[in-house]
Amino acid sequence: MMQEEAYVRESTIQESTIQGNTIRKNIIQENARQWKGFLAHNINLDIRRYERNLKRFNRGGLFLFTFFLILALLPVLFAPYSPTERFMPYEAPSTAHLLGTNDIGNDILSELVYGARISMMVGFASACISTLIGLMIGLFSGYFRGTLDELLMGFTDVVLIIPKIPLIIILGAFLRPSIWTLILVLGLLSWESIARVVRSKTLQIREAGYVKSARCMGFSSVHIMASDIFPNLFHVLLPKFMLATASAMISEASLSFLGLGDISMKSWGIMLSFAFSRGGFIRDMWWWYLPPGICITLCVMSIALIGFGFEGKEKENGKRGVDAE
Amino acid sequence: MSLKAENLSKIYGSGLLGGGKCIFRDVSFELEPGKTFGLMGPSGEGKSTLGRIIAGLESPTAGAIHFKGSPLSGMKKAEYATFRRRVQMMFQDPTDAFNPGKRIEHSVSEVLKLLDTPGTERIRRTKEMLKTTGLPEEVLARYPAQLSGGQLQRLALGRILLLEPEYIVLDEPTSALDVSVQAQILHLLKKVQDEQGIGYLLISHDEAVVRFMSDSLGMLENGKLDVIEA
Repeated sequence: MMQEEAYVRESTIQESTIQGNTIRKNIIQENARQWKGFLAHNINLDIRRYERNLKRFNRGGLFLFTFFLILALLPVLFAPYSPTERFMPYEAPSTAHLLGTNDIGNDILSELVYGARISMMVGFASACISTLIGLMIGLFSGYFRGTLDELLMGFTDVVLIIPKIPLIIILGAFLRPSIWTLILVLGLLSWESIARVVRSKTLQIREAGYVKSARCMGFSSVHIMASDIFPNLFHVLLPKFMLATASAMISEASLSFLGLGDISMKSWGIMLSFAFSRGGFIRDMWWWYLPPGICITLCVMSIALIGFGFEGKEKENGKRGVDAE
Repeated sequence: MSLKAENLSKIYGSGLLGGGKCIFRDVSFELEPGKTFGLMGPSGEGKSTLGRIIAGLESPTAGAIHFKGSPLSGMKKAEYATFRRRVQMMFQDPTDAFNPGKRIEHSVSEVLKLLDTPGTERIRRTKEMLKTTGLPEEVLARYPAQLSGGQLQRLALGRILLLEPEYIVLDEPTSALDVSVQAQILHLLKKVQDEQGIGYLLISHDEAVVRFMSDSLGMLENGKLDVIEA
């Protein structure tokens, strides 16, 4: 009897142990499933958040760029004084002069606002020149191929290996320093990457059925390039143009800082150069050298962000196989 | 009045060092108005290359194309302009036949502008073209991506017809379409040929299609053209 009771108790304990183990196993499995779901959910959320942030950055870039553009187009609205008006030199920031005055008594905030126009003009004008040259060379090279392609791409390779900044310094030293020289030099020496991108896209488009049909129908090469190829290059040109603008602005600031800019047209780079050479750094006048530096950084960053945004869109379109529109 | 290919050869990569790849050699045939010459053969044998050479889009390595008795290579500018309009080519992929960024109306009117057609005449001819190809006027306002493969292939043919061609090279015109649309396009091609007396060079993999359309038949294989049915 006693033995039977003991056996029953033992088997009940064994059963409950097995049940307990199964339950524990189920709980562990359930927990693992939940963790998996949680992680997957969170990773997904992170990806979504990353995409959202990227778009937010592009939007931020556009907002910043619009701000600088308005500053450049309508400086009268933002500058408290004329940039050439004189006050007491080396004044610290005050209510009358929010960013103080420089060595000759010009209001630094007004100089900064008017400087936007010069810096952006140099950037955009030289980017226009380089984009136009890059477009022409890439388009002709890709469309006509053969000997012309080899000649043009050989020339592009030669320009590509020339060290730009030293050459610009030499040219800047020999030519009369003027903003137009700077625009021309920067524009003439930064078209190679645009030409290469345009050429490869042209090579792709020239094999499209609609281009072959147009050739077969007797349309001229100029008509085909202008009407069928160029509109489909626009979405690769735009990001390149923006990035060329940003790069030209940086080059302009560097050259102006080295004293190769046009001192009669005060850009942000010239402001930095003056702050360096006329006692701004020695006197620790941060309100003189920091604002133009920040403006150059933010403006270049905003333009680059817009460029990256366009590039990203182009890549997305490429993945979806969308050629135009 | 015919379009004649005489001893055409195509060698890719033939340069000073030689060693190029021969695609085909000594290919000769003749296209006649109102007749179809069917060209068949395995993939990679150069059927499309031969088509492009006949349409004047590519030059042969050797041999000549004679249009109405004159060789293509020795043509004067005015003669070549006539050849350019009279010999057309229709490509395989209808979705690629029109500029994706332009409305159909623009792509069609562009051809009429090329022919210096006045404004009112342009509208009449466009309507006539749509009637011939059996398409509604609404298609003109659409972008290529908004139309079906069959509609685009009809439009591609219609646009070619605006140039009043005498010969059309049809490079696998139905291979990208489904069977029912294939039949419609083939019947349309037949109808247009009967009405306008156009000579076709039909390139296709599909023996049934070639036999349905062709008056004579050639097989391009191992770099040689054998006329198997005349």
